[in-house]
Amino acid sequence: MKLTKCLRHAFDMVVHSKLRSWLTILGIVIGVAAVIAISSLGTGLQQTVSNSLNLGGDIVTVTPGFSRGGNFFGGFGGRGGGGDTATTKVITLDRSDVQVLRGIPDLALIDTNIRDQVNVSYLGKSGKVSITGVDPKVWGQITTTTLAQGIFLDATDQNVVVIGGNLASSFFSQPVGINKMLTIQGSSFRVVGILNDQSNQIYMPIQTVYQIVTDKTVDNYDSIDVKIKNKDDLATVIAKMKEKLMISRHVTNSTLDFSITSNAQIQQARSATLSSLNTFLLAIAGVSLIVGAVGIANTMFTSVLEKTKEIGIMKAIGGRNRDILLIFLLNSALIGLVGGLIGVVFGTILSGFMPSLVGGLPFARTLGDIVSLNSIIVALSVSIGIGVLAGVIPAYQASQLKPVDALRFD
Amino acid sequence: MSTPKSELLLHLDNVWKIYDMGEVQVPALKGVTVEIKKGDFVAIMGASGSGKSTMMNLIGCLDLPSKGTIFLKSRDISTLNESDLASFRGETIGFIFQQYNLIHSMSALENVLLPLEFLEYDDDEALVRAVNLLKLVGLGDKIHHRPSQLSGGQQQRVSIARSLASNPEIILADEPTGALDSVTGKEVINILCELWEKQGKTIIMVTHDANLAKYAHTVIELKDGQIVKSYENGKSR
Ligand SMILES: Nc1ncnc2c1ncn2[C@@H]1O[C@H](COP(=O)(O)OP(=O)(O)O)[C@@H](O)[C@H]1O
Ligand SMILES: [Mg+2]
Repeated sequence: MKLTKCLRHAFDMVVHSKLRSWLTILGIVIGVAAVIAISSLGTGLQQTVSNSLNLGGDIVTVTPGFSRGGNFFGGFGGRGGGGDTATTKVITLDRSDVQVLRGIPDLALIDTNIRDQVNVSYLGKSGKVSITGVDPKVWGQITTTTLAQGIFLDATDQNVVVIGGNLASSFFSQPVGINKMLTIQGSSFRVVGILNDQSNQIYMPIQTVYQIVTDKTVDNYDSIDVKIKNKDDLATVIAKMKEKLMISRHVTNSTLDFSITSNAQIQQARSATLSSLNTFLLAIAGVSLIVGAVGIANTMFTSVLEKTKEIGIMKAIGGRNRDILLIFLLNSALIGLVGGLIGVVFGTILSGFMPSLVGGLPFARTLGDIVSLNSIIVALSVSIGIGVLAGVIPAYQASQLKPVDALRFD
Repeated sequence: MSTPKSELLLHLDNVWKIYDMGEVQVPALKGVTVEIKKGDFVAIMGASGSGKSTMMNLIGCLDLPSKGTIFLKSRDISTLNESDLASFRGETIGFIFQQYNLIHSMSALENVLLPLEFLEYDDDEALVRAVNLLKLVGLGDKIHHRPSQLSGGQQQRVSIARSLASNPEIILADEPTGALDSVTGKEVINILCELWEKQGKTIIMVTHDANLAKYAHTVIELKDGQIVKSYENGKSR
């Protein structure tokens, strides 16, 4: 029998198969859907991570305190923290540290930051938000966020702020526009820029922040951001910074009281974590595919058993072993393909929801449409392959049936 | 003795079939020697359990003998490999079974097309052939019906059309009227007679019914796996 005819008979068998055999393809459907969704998530993560690496890969942050545990997500949470709890001395960064850093020729820019909470109100509506004091001369060149409107802070005006996108659009009863006045800790500040992000942050010249908040000491910093001249030197520059700061702060490795983190390192740590998470999820999806394969094999064994008589008839009227083998193998492959197709559809839908499932994490924004044609082709080939593998033994059994025995079967 | 040709088509030479049931061995055929000439209409008679179906299966190359040799068109079928045997069977023998043995998910037409697909006939040629055969058996208006939509007699006619699809020399019918009432059974017998008389097919029919055996030219009687009687009816073409 010609291959096309075998395929048609295999296809008819799929069309005529019972509900029960449709249920067994569920394993393939789930497996493929999971693989599609997870690998789309993985690609999305990688893209976001590499995008942000391109952006902030040359930024290094110095913070006071040293956590020996090491944060899983590389310094997401409590900055500083840890340190030597026995001593009562508060660990800070100050002008002398900045001075040390200025002595390192590999650094292009140095920005000093403090962070606090402030009361802010606009048109009668008020609330508490985070504020970051920054060096207005430098911040605009070192930050990785971009402006939606207006300008970054500059050295000329002290009583101005740049605010986060969310604070501008939806925090107050009305949107805040450029040149509007916000009341912060009782004083008025003009909005000169609105950031292209979703935050409620306020950025203000650091000297002004010292004046409006009560719990910060002038010239003590919560963190120092530096931009290095050449991104490729990242590791050596970090080592150099650490060495110089250790000398000036009179600490050794065991009494270290500051941390140096880089965007790149954070991202790398995060992406390593995520990719191992991804691998783990893929392994689970793989198990589901194996379950699917067993399901198909089971369907095929049942189908061969049910069709024993038909196989006998086919052999009596001229069907060769090869023909029978091919029909059943193609049938199995088609079942796999159907499972794969349904899986791809579900997987694609699921990928659309993935960003909101991992919501809250900053990388989750742009993943919607990263189901590639490639992964669909791979998924379908894999499902066909699984179908073939699962069908090999049943189809071989079918082909080896002796015509007399098969015809006697009822 | 009026068979026009005497070319030997089928030759069973001291054929034994012993079913191995583990502890016991059941000898279903015990040294059967038979020669069937081309163009003959043979009825194989005998009581239930006498070995008729076993003999049919061997003649139809669906099974191989335990001992002895079967020559079909002068070829020793035990020397053919599975694939050649299947094709040889498909080309040479058309089967008609007591239970019709149609494939239920296929229409009458698809059932008749199936042997032609196995023999890799050209699509158009196969279609014309199949439709003509269904017309020949009087089902020209029911070619798209499923077996379940046809009566027993109609199903048996589809199976006759199928047995003729590859234009085989031999039609092998195992109790072809066994599941039919006497009227439809008569119709089926008439078709077989026509095939014998008008198309020169060699017909080998198994039956336990002496009334049906009367239509045949040669009658072979089996008892306990052995041929006890073999004679020719006066009937001829
Ligand atoms: N596949 C088989 N396995 C074991 N015994 C069988 C098998 N087929 C037939 N027999 C036995 O062989 C004998 C002849 O059977 P069969 O050829 O079917 O006779 P008939 O068709 O004349 O009724 C019977 O005793 C039957 O039980
Ligand atoms: Mg019988």
